[in-house]
Amino acid sequence: MLRIIRDLWRTNWEFAAGTALLLVVLVVAGLSFFSPYPPLDVYVVAPDMPPGGEFLLGTTSRGQDLFWQLTVALRNTLLFGVIVAAISRVIALLVGLFAGYLGGAGDRLLMLFNDTFIVLPIFPILVLFYFVMRDRMSWTLLALVTACLGWAYDARLIRSVAMSVKTREFTTHSVFSGMTATQIVLREHLPYVLPVLFSTTMNNINWSIGLEVTLSVLGFTDVNTPTIGGMIYWANQHTALVSGIWWWIAFPVLAVVVLFIGLFLLAISMNEYIDPRSRLARLGNTG
Amino acid sequence: MSASVPTEQVPELAAEPRPTGQRRAGSYGAYLRRRLLQFVVVVFIGINITYVITHATPIDPVEQTISAATSFGSTSPEAIATMREALRALYGTGDNPVEQYVRFWRRVAVGDFGPSLSAFPTPVSVLVGRALPWTAGLLVVSTAISWVLGNLLGGLAGYYRNSTTLKLTGILAMAVHPIPYYIIAFVLLIVFGYLWPVLPISDAYDQGMRPGLTLDFVLSMVRHGFLPVLSLVMAGIGGWFIGMRSLVSNVVTEDYTLYAELAGVPRGKILRSYVMRNAIAPQITGLAMSLGAIFNGAIITEQVFGYPGVGSLLVAAVHAGDYSLVIGVTTVSIVAVSAAVLIVDLLHPLLDPRVRAG
Amino acid sequence: MDIRRRSLLATPIALAAARAGAQTTSQPTPSGLPPRHETLILENPEGTIRNAGWFNIWTINAGGSYTGLQQLAMDTLWYLDPEHGLDGIWENALAAEPPIYNADFTEMTVKLRPGIFWSDGVEFTADDVVYTVQTQVKNTAMRWGGLLALNVKEVSAPDPRTVVFKLSRVNSRFHALFTVRFNAVWMMPKHVFEKAGDPIRFDFNKPVSLGAYVLHSYDPEGKRFTWQLRDDWQRTTLGRFGKPGPRYVSYIDPGPPDKRVIAQLNHDLDVIHDVAPEGMFTLARQSKTLKTWFPKFPYAHPDPTLPALIFNLQNPMFADRRVRWALALLIDIKAVSMASYRGAATISAIGIPPTGTHPEDYHKPMQEWLAAYEVDTGKRKIRPYDPTLGKQIADMVRPANPDVPTDPALIARAFGYGWWKPDAQAATELLEAAGFSKRGSAWYLPDGKPFTVRVVVEGESRPVMTRAGTMIAQNWRQFGIDARTEVAQGAAMLDRRNAGDFETLIAWSVETYGGHPDLAYFLDSWHSQYVAAPGKPQAPRNYQRWANPELDAIIEKIRRISFDDPKVVEYGRDYVKLAVREMPTIPLMAYNVFTAMDETYWTGYPTIEDPYTDPVPNWGNSRYMMVRLKQRQA
Repeated sequence: MLRIIRDLWRTNWEFAAGTALLLVVLVVAGLSFFSPYPPLDVYVVAPDMPPGGEFLLGTTSRGQDLFWQLTVALRNTLLFGVIVAAISRVIALLVGLFAGYLGGAGDRLLMLFNDTFIVLPIFPILVLFYFVMRDRMSWTLLALVTACLGWAYDARLIRSVAMSVKTREFTTHSVFSGMTATQIVLREHLPYVLPVLFSTTMNNINWSIGLEVTLSVLGFTDVNTPTIGGMIYWANQHTALVSGIWWWIAFPVLAVVVLFIGLFLLAISMNEYIDPRSRLARLGNTG
Repeated sequence: MSASVPTEQVPELAAEPRPTGQRRAGSYGAYLRRRLLQFVVVVFIGINITYVITHATPIDPVEQTISAATSFGSTSPEAIATMREALRALYGTGDNPVEQYVRFWRRVAVGDFGPSLSAFPTPVSVLVGRALPWTAGLLVVSTAISWVLGNLLGGLAGYYRNSTTLKLTGILAMAVHPIPYYIIAFVLLIVFGYLWPVLPISDAYDQGMRPGLTLDFVLSMVRHGFLPVLSLVMAGIGGWFIGMRSLVSNVVTEDYTLYAELAGVPRGKILRSYVMRNAIAPQITGLAMSLGAIFNGAIITEQVFGYPGVGSLLVAAVHAGDYSLVIGVTTVSIVAVSAAVLIVDLLHPLLDPRVRAG
Repeated sequence: MDIRRRSLLATPIALAAARAGAQTTSQPTPSGLPPRHETLILENPEGTIRNAGWFNIWTINAGGSYTGLQQLAMDTLWYLDPEHGLDGIWENALAAEPPIYNADFTEMTVKLRPGIFWSDGVEFTADDVVYTVQTQVKNTAMRWGGLLALNVKEVSAPDPRTVVFKLSRVNSRFHALFTVRFNAVWMMPKHVFEKAGDPIRFDFNKPVSLGAYVLHSYDPEGKRFTWQLRDDWQRTTLGRFGKPGPRYVSYIDPGPPDKRVIAQLNHDLDVIHDVAPEGMFTLARQSKTLKTWFPKFPYAHPDPTLPALIFNLQNPMFADRRVRWALALLIDIKAVSMASYRGAATISAIGIPPTGTHPEDYHKPMQEWLAAYEVDTGKRKIRPYDPTLGKQIADMVRPANPDVPTDPALIARAFGYGWWKPDAQAATELLEAAGFSKRGSAWYLPDGKPFTVRVVVEGESRPVMTRAGTMIAQNWRQFGIDARTEVAQGAAMLDRRNAGDFETLIAWSVETYGGHPDLAYFLDSWHSQYVAAPGKPQAPRNYQRWANPELDAIIEKIRRISFDDPKVVEYGRDYVKLAVREMPTIPLMAYNVFTAMDETYWTGYPTIEDPYTDPVPNWGNSRYMMVRLKQRQA
């Protein structure tokens, strides 16, 4: 495993860049535990100070130090993304693996159910959900609902891998040796699915964070907990751009763009690694 | 922002959408039947989800209307009680749940979602009908541009591997692709609304213009639609580019391409007739699967640019607590997206015979 | 705060504005719109009207109301100005004289003004009044249906200039229904509606005006409504004051707050309804043609409403008034003012908005009483009122805003007089006397459970109030109470507020006329007869659900005297004293509206130096502006 990572780091610039970017973001988010200000408090420092000097990234119109707010916001946003990804992986795995293994009518039924969730436009439903839940909408609930809506695409991918693995010899061996379907799926097929799982996780985190930013900017989440989308929301509320407080918008946007690009690079480099043809092509080119 | 991994990165998926185990050649009819069934199921489940969620709300439209009417002006508690009774009768919110459900389906079947509760008594279908063409126009134009342009550039990049311009385009595409719709729209808004205001940043056409087929009006529409379309294209083009580039670079290593090159067929013709045509197939599937995500992006883009489509309507409806309108917009979105997917799926086998099998 | 350091972005904005501004005169007006220099453009805070072609204002939630419809096209019997009025605060509009009541307030007679015509040439008569009342009594789902059905037993027109109302119960303030304080029962044209079938489903398009303006055109997408001065403007009630200046008036949806600021910097928007304080400060810095209510800081117009921290008095936590007082003594009003309005707030310790004529009737005369007021904390007696807090806020903001006034009278008018000074020690004593206890750094209820308080705020819909609520929760949290804000927007807020589904709430339960000292406008609904059982919807405005027999006595005394009786002020002061003692809500400040006016095309806006009306453009009373505005010679 470590050898793979080392190989990737050396040969694949996308992997290297992605990991580097992601590490930067993680470090910044980790700093949030050392924040000298309680994250929910406002007017703890002089408002509207530009970056530089005492305040690394400046301060907001709400009297908060932008740097420390950003660390907490990144942490919360990442946490949200990771939780959604985790829950939806579980669903995607279950659906994909079983559909791939079962085949036939079971597979068709599962895929019908699956494709429904691919086609459904998710945003209106999330908005609808917010409309109903309003202020009772907690972050955990939102994560749960988002996860339940975001597994479908990846389930299909997992299913494809499962299907190809099913035709291999070791599967027939397992069947003859008396393993149950669950045991085969979980013990024999799962390792083959892991690389795809990894890359889809990256993409899923991107997707769910994008959703969080969009919903928060519209004010459809709990905007008192600092998140990236929440910061942009408050900046808009205080007409930051027009008032000249550009740093309040620029730095959160920059941070989240770095995060997205980092995750994306990791995802595609992983994908390339999975596909033997492209891996060979890359080695051929660098050789 | 879609949960998209370019389809070609997983070779097995590139050979989709055939379900395994069935290779009845030439049965377009069976394919058609399956896709129609899919459409019906999606719409049915989607509308039910919408209905259940909306009716789980504790929001009572009658109370809201009363509050709206009494926020200014002197009031009297007894007068409000009278008003409450009258409004309840008017809005019809007094019946039991089963009756309401049946009535709901009967009306939805003919496209009647009842009156909007924040623009009473204008029917919801009228409001949605007014907004839908704007969204549809936006989506069709931007999807067409990004899909065609993305695949074209991607194909070229995949084929002419040594071109620096195409390599740079590739890096640009990779940088912009992961950024969510909102951020792209927002950045464009800042650039063209604050820093360099040369383009209009709200509405669909100039104030004071009469809608019609005049040149002035069309030009005004184009100017106002430019930024929303640009935003959607920028957000979407990267995915198609990267996907096509990968697909093409795989196809290029196939035997028949090598054979054509050895046989002296001109490069341009190889690119067009051999490479692109074979590589495009998974992109069509991808188009169908990403229509839902593109629609989501359109909603938020409309909101940022004040474009009067269904996205702006939905957000306004939520803020107004108008649940008839919210149900109406959501239902129409679900039906529209599913229908679009259906159409793409139905056209697909005509373009790629392999798909028709089973 | 050094202004130069602030705006790296301001330069591009200013450049852009300058570039655009230079283009203004040469930019062609899009076809269909009247010439810019003849048009007054105002913001409609309703935003984009979904049902643009609907002008039937008597139905609820149907079309737009502040699109110019209520301000320019409608008319009714009397107007009561929130400020000082064009010619005194009371205007007899469609009525020729004030209402005539019989001795026991069960009958009201109105004499109408002759010579008023609808815009289609039909004369306005008593029949229109009778029709308006009867139609809404029959259709109680209409806007004033409930109110009219409740009060009117019979209405008749003995001659075309007289209307007689027989009331179904004693009501000394029945005329308030027809007196415009923001809005009132507008008159319906009988000759149009009687041919229209169901009045609830009639769209009244194109509207027939009784006011001085008729509909010129509107945007089918609902973003703009343009009105044109009637040729026969002298045959309207506004015409008495002279010919209105603007020939055309447009109410538009300019978008979110930053777009509004940009629009005004580009001189495309003459009157902004409201912006965030930061937006106003930006305009003050960058616009050479800005006109505001207060010429300098704090700029904003204080509306006659009183945002306060409202307790749900049916919650056992707040049953003891010592707890309420303790929470009040923990609030640092300077911080709340800075957080919410950046210091541009007019604070008030008493339950009356510090605006219009109220400071002269209530705030100033009661300063002595307030300064001497004592609270018994259980261990000692303290005098919590600090009359210099308004001045302290002014001093705090002066370094960053050199144009803050120094004259004490002006400061009192702009920033308010005093407030309760924060006293954590007194708060501790009061809570302990009420049975609360502190363990470690947290406070606990008498029954041992942790003392937690939730403050409901409106979030994005009312950002300034949300900021105030956030700061208050923070003040309490720093003391050791587990306090947090909860956001409830739009419909959710209305539901929760009315249902009593909150512990505390930032909202207003006090609204007054502004220009007139009578408090019955809101106080009548605070009678305990109207307090709803827990869980049932509470009618406006007693959201705190306060039931107090002393208050009932005051209210009943007010009910028995007429509107203009000078004793109204005396009873008002009794209410103030009772409210201070009981603290059912913690009054904070006036609702300051940052209305920004641009003088590029028009001059003559109302200001504190010339307070002929409230400049906030969605008020029905704002029609007076039309008479005073004059075109700026280009």
